Amino acid sequence: MITTEIFDILLLLALALIFARFLGYLFNRIKQPAVLGEILAGLILGGIALIFFSGNTFTIFNYQIVFSNLDYSSEEFRLIAEIGILFLLFISGMEIRASKLKKMEKASTLVAIGGVILPLSLGFLTAILMDFSFKESIVIGLILIATSVGVTVRTLLDLNILDTDSSTTILGGAVIDDIIGIILLTFALGIGSLMDAVWIGFRIALFFFIFLYIGLRVIDRILKLSEKIHLPKAFLSISLSIFLLYAFFADKSGIAGIIGAFIAGVIIGQSFESKKIEEDFKTIGYGFFIPIFFVWVGTLLWGGEIESFSSIIEIGIFAVIIIFISIIGKILGCGIFAKIAGFKNKEALQIGVGMVPRLELALIIATAAISKGFITGFHAHQILVATILMVVVTTFITPFLIKATFKK
Amino acid sequence: MAKQDKLIKDFYNLKVSQLMDKRVWDLPIISVNEDIYHVLAILGGRNHIWVVEDKESKELIGVITEHDVLSILAPKHLPSYILGMPNLSSIQHGTAKTVEDIMSRRVVTCDPDEKIIDALLRMVKYKLRRLPVIKDKKLFGEITLHQLIRKYYQATQYHPIVEDEEG
Repeated sequence: MITTEIFDILLLLALALIFARFLGYLFNRIKQPAVLGEILAGLILGGIALIFFSGNTFTIFNYQIVFSNLDYSSEEFRLIAEIGILFLLFISGMEIRASKLKKMEKASTLVAIGGVILPLSLGFLTAILMDFSFKESIVIGLILIATSVGVTVRTLLDLNILDTDSSTTILGGAVIDDIIGIILLTFALGIGSLMDAVWIGFRIALFFFIFLYIGLRVIDRILKLSEKIHLPKAFLSISLSIFLLYAFFADKSGIAGIIGAFIAGVIIGQSFESKKIEEDFKTIGYGFFIPIFFVWVGTLLWGGEIESFSSIIEIGIFAVIIIFISIIGKILGCGIFAKIAGFKNKEALQIGVGMVPRLELALIIATAAISKGFITGFHAHQILVATILMVVVTTFITPFLIKATFKK
Repeated sequence: MAKQDKLIKDFYNLKVSQLMDKRVWDLPIISVNEDIYHVLAILGGRNHIWVVEDKESKELIGVITEHDVLSILAPKHLPSYILGMPNLSSIQHGTAKTVEDIMSRRVVTCDPDEKIIDALLRMVKYKLRRLPVIKDKKLFGEITLHQLIRKYYQATQYHPIVEDEEG
């Protein structure tokens, strides 16, 4: 082969970006989140790569054509995708404003809590009953927690009902349950890597103390210093390295890199200077790394060793159950807590329905658990497939549910 | 050119308080809990509004520019990835009701005793055309690019840069 191996990844990346954007655009046109299109892009590319491009050579006339080996399960591609997750978490951390969180009403917090407790416990118990291990069951529970605001917001915008009380509560609740999801994930992944619970608690506490508390005090000064380096985008470079260091140290202390990225985002987001780099981070993240992540998730669907027809059935049944729990859990959990917060029956139902869609964070939690080795083997693949199907189904049905419940 | 050089150096070394608009009563000011339509009324004629806690104390807590209004006036387009809190303030959807909903809380300010050169550099760095002048957290005046251009030009036309204790 003429090309060096390392450059094969350029082809992978280029195809991934083209497919991601094209399918993302098509999905937007049919009023579905672009993310789903990007996952589909991964599924298609992964299939094409497996079937046609696993290092075959073709001879046409006298020319021998050597196709590059398109291997979407390569470590290089995975690295780019994993950096994509970190960017996603960093950017969402950066957008969290303490002032806005404080303004959130109690109703949102209550709804978020209800929407965490019920799906988490239902998911966990069902998984245990279905003979999943303790760790796997925890992951299944966690996947069901985090509502994706995006789908609901789009529908509420389309219906022009963004200013109702139910809508405000849904939006607040969806932000809060994301944060709860991230915090619970921290604990869950910690349990896996070390069995000594006290030691984990200590590590997590230490990490939070050093990186959140001290971070808030020191980072601002470091950023101010970096201002003095008069080189193009030096400030961005320093912020990027802080972000990567946080992810690195979080991973090393057994907490998962995404938490580090999220905390780095929160800290840098609070600093005054972040105004100037927000757009830069979005350019790098949204333009390159994050779409690669969603494509990568799609390619993972080809990863499991599916031995027989019965294993496909098994995956299917499990997915149906998970989807059922994900919908019922949110409608009941959020609905009941909305009632407690003083909403009428109809509004409580609207809120429950609005909290149904899961997207980004569910995928992030599933892939983080897999890439940390927290869950492995056939069950890991089963959980990933179920998560993707749940994401597709919940985002697809939510607009219809919202339209039905908001009818006058 | 030596003369120009001297002039611009003198200009740089002036204090913000010497060139700023001191007529605080004439600055566009709004208090944080006022209605969005009041914002629109003012911005129809001005480029920006300083947001204060209340008009008595004049404690500066935010700023609204034309561009902030553009984002609530134009139809909403959501980004393809939404994690965290999307900005949903919009006139069309009734989610921009008060000053607080659209103001930006991070205001780049300057001090009356700072040199003009520092104010200019800050304008470059943050891509701004106006800075509020803050004294004890309170709005004390403002300095705009327009004013600075005018003052400098007048100086090149043999007018004194700093007029003798006028208003």
